[in-house]
Amino acid sequence: MEIEQNWNDWAKQNSDPKMAHVKPEALDDLVVLDLSSKSFAGCYCSSLLAEFGAQVIRIEPPEGDFIRQCTPYGIQHKGEGLNYLTEGRNKSHITLQLETPEGREILKSLVAQADILIETFLPGIMDDWGIGYEQLKEINPRLIFASITANGQFGPASGSRMPDYDNIVQAKSGIQRTTGEIMPEGKTYDECPWAVPTKAGPWIGWVQPATFMAVGILGAVHWRETRGEGQALDVSTHESYARFDDINPIWYYGSQVVSERFGNLDTGSWLYCFAPTKDGAVFLGGLRLEMWQAFADIIGKWDEWGAGEWKDLTLFTPKDQKLKWANLLYAETVKYTNKELVDKALDYGKTGRLAPITPVVAPICSPLETMEDKNWIERGVLATVNDPVYGDIVVAQAQHKMTETPIRTKWICRPVGYDNGHTYLKHLGFGPSKLKKLQDEGVI
Amino acid sequence: MSQETWKDYKKTRHTKPLPLQGLKVLEVGTLILGPVGPGFLATMGAEVIKCEIPPNGDTGRNMAPFGYFYKGFPPVFIHNNLNKYWMGLDLHIPEGQKLFLELAAKADVIEINLRPGVMEKWNVGYHDIKKINPKIIYISKTGFGQWGPYALENRPSNDGAGQGLCGYAWMSSFPDQPPIKSSIYPCDDYGGIMGEVAVLAALHHRTKTGEGQFIDLSQSENIMRTMSWVWPYQQLTGKTAMPAGNRDVSICPADTFYCSDGDFVAIAAPAPEEFKGLCDAMERPELVEDHRFKDHLTRLKEENADQIIEIVKRWARSKTPDEIEILAELHGFAASRVRSVKDVMNDEHSLERGFIAEVDDPILGEYNDYGFPVMMSKTPPRVKWSVRPVGFDNEYILIKHLSRNREQIQELYKCGAIGKWGNMQGRKPPEDWDGKSGVIMAINEDLETA
Repeated sequence: MEIEQNWNDWAKQNSDPKMAHVKPEALDDLVVLDLSSKSFAGCYCSSLLAEFGAQVIRIEPPEGDFIRQCTPYGIQHKGEGLNYLTEGRNKSHITLQLETPEGREILKSLVAQADILIETFLPGIMDDWGIGYEQLKEINPRLIFASITANGQFGPASGSRMPDYDNIVQAKSGIQRTTGEIMPEGKTYDECPWAVPTKAGPWIGWVQPATFMAVGILGAVHWRETRGEGQALDVSTHESYARFDDINPIWYYGSQVVSERFGNLDTGSWLYCFAPTKDGAVFLGGLRLEMWQAFADIIGKWDEWGAGEWKDLTLFTPKDQKLKWANLLYAETVKYTNKELVDKALDYGKTGRLAPITPVVAPICSPLETMEDKNWIERGVLATVNDPVYGDIVVAQAQHKMTETPIRTKWICRPVGYDNGHTYLKHLGFGPSKLKKLQDEGVI
Repeated sequence: MSQETWKDYKKTRHTKPLPLQGLKVLEVGTLILGPVGPGFLATMGAEVIKCEIPPNGDTGRNMAPFGYFYKGFPPVFIHNNLNKYWMGLDLHIPEGQKLFLELAAKADVIEINLRPGVMEKWNVGYHDIKKINPKIIYISKTGFGQWGPYALENRPSNDGAGQGLCGYAWMSSFPDQPPIKSSIYPCDDYGGIMGEVAVLAALHHRTKTGEGQFIDLSQSENIMRTMSWVWPYQQLTGKTAMPAGNRDVSICPADTFYCSDGDFVAIAAPAPEEFKGLCDAMERPELVEDHRFKDHLTRLKEENADQIIEIVKRWARSKTPDEIEILAELHGFAASRVRSVKDVMNDEHSLERGFIAEVDDPILGEYNDYGFPVMMSKTPPRVKWSVRPVGFDNEYILIKHLSRNREQIQELYKCGAIGKWGNMQGRKPPEDWDGKSGVIMAINEDLETA
């Protein structure tokens, strides 16, 4: 116990995000051009690099990217949509009209100085503009050219003209289909329009492919260090999200089972479910027999259910058994509040019959409760950034705690073209009069 | 031009190098959060040694849907443990710890997902490794991290707890209905992949400076990172963010609709040209001029969004998903049937791209699964093989990496430092195993090298 205490203290002292600013940044030698168009995936991908200190130049058309207008209920803060507000972090924002030949020449000059380019246009558009990978690698053979699109750069569906949005990604991946409430027996869609395939979280279908691409980019950076060569990278958003479907592809391949919705239960494990309580719901997890026994004990069913006699979990794996036991379980959990069940599990780990074994019991929180949870506040993951343009804003951050090169959020966003002056001066030597001319010509 | 870059990608990928060739990784991981990330590194060419405690090993070996095992192993276990070497190593005992330290001395990355303090108790914590290998990148993936109130309480966690505690499940449900658990393991998988972002960034730093480091990754914090607008919205409005079912409250119109054949279609058409396309497809061109729908920010207002969604809903109900997909392609908005795993596994597009991995494994035989989703033109990641019984590669690892001889290896088995599978589902070889397929090196005369 003493060792654990020391380790906790050491880990906190050396990875507390509050002290991040005194340490170096892992990617501060990399220059990234982010050309994302109508895609949160591209913006999130460049954010992941910018958090590590990469110099990200975010390039938008003069009127700004449409993604800035994708905001819940149309709400804006100081003229900015709330999604983009969180993912302009640490980036310089410039404008450039790629539809003009001059704009494309300027892009080439920036490419000559860049390590990574991220783009999300429909496949073929960059090529048509003369700034596709094959063309840009002539200017900069070390360039890593990363495309994130609906269907990817090649394959029969790559010619589709459909744009890429999160809810489409989720529908296409196969995952939405297996998530959601089971239709109650004898009911129809019109009676229970919530018992349908259900999508998840805000834009997971966009940020997940973005994260895979960040892994690909950093893998390409590593390879480039030994070989000196860049390369092209290609992610299809729905393929990427489908990759998180851990069970169903091989289950289907091996037995032709096409998995369907299973409500708040889990096909692959027991004890593993959401369960109703007096004041909401909790998650219950006990993937080892002893943990499930411990839960039966916690709710006073050790003897009645004969938990001591259970030999292994195979009794609880068939579908009908899961449904049967879930009903027995729910009848008990509704007798308690979330807090009562969480506390009981923690106490059981200290004093229960099977201690230190205890099941995982976690409340299903509203995100407002999450935001008030002292654990996340202390760990700096939901923290306020004092942004020079947008003021004090809470964004999720510091999701990796690192002892030597911690990530950090220095600013959260910039208005369209905010950094034209300094960025063009720094990289291309364009002073105010040249910028004025380009602006008059509609290039920036 | 991009055709040139990607010509014959699938056909030629085995002729090309891998991006993480030469990177050495040690894993002590269970279930999904621990194993999935190293599996991705191995798909990108890293040499990953997965250490499991014999004879039962990784608890993920249990996770068979409705009791279904594919060739003796659960699908999820096969899916996430790719291209690894398998060691049955008991870290409870000093001889086992010594072997781990020897492997760690030569490793680049160590990946752990045990509760805080356990590796320290076993004398193989970050400080123990750093003493013998200062350049080590050591990542621990847990529910709540290494410090803070929950870590001090030693709270256990897993994916579903993350979904619950972070508001993710809340946001993935229908209004006025109980929260819905995702059918996948988003916190495990997402935490797993985000950990590799940190590991590879740390690797870049090490290349520049020679310096390793410790990384504390909490899966819960990483799923919170994905929830974009939710946090500033709550801060600015003082209200909790509310679930909206399949409707995207940031994109309008975007929702899932019930169709004439009882199937479902997702539609999105927010940008001006896309919305116009949808209105044309619905034969309602006048809606583009309607003051309620005139631009995206106006449409997003709840009262207006309700009305346009209702219009699209009525229209979609008179069509099949296929009909709507054709119209979407024609008119330039986005639509997709809510596809099943069968649709995805048989998608010609993903088969041709090689996203559907067609694996030829010495133990599992030929099977298909989803592969690595990042196509890399010069260094294509790929799936070569998957899971093995507990301790399957012990001899190979001990002889190749630790120069142990036959007698020493037998001694290690005898003292329990290393071990192999027990006679339990998910641990042992499949029924039809011939006793030698997949074996890289053996010291038992009964076995020949494969």
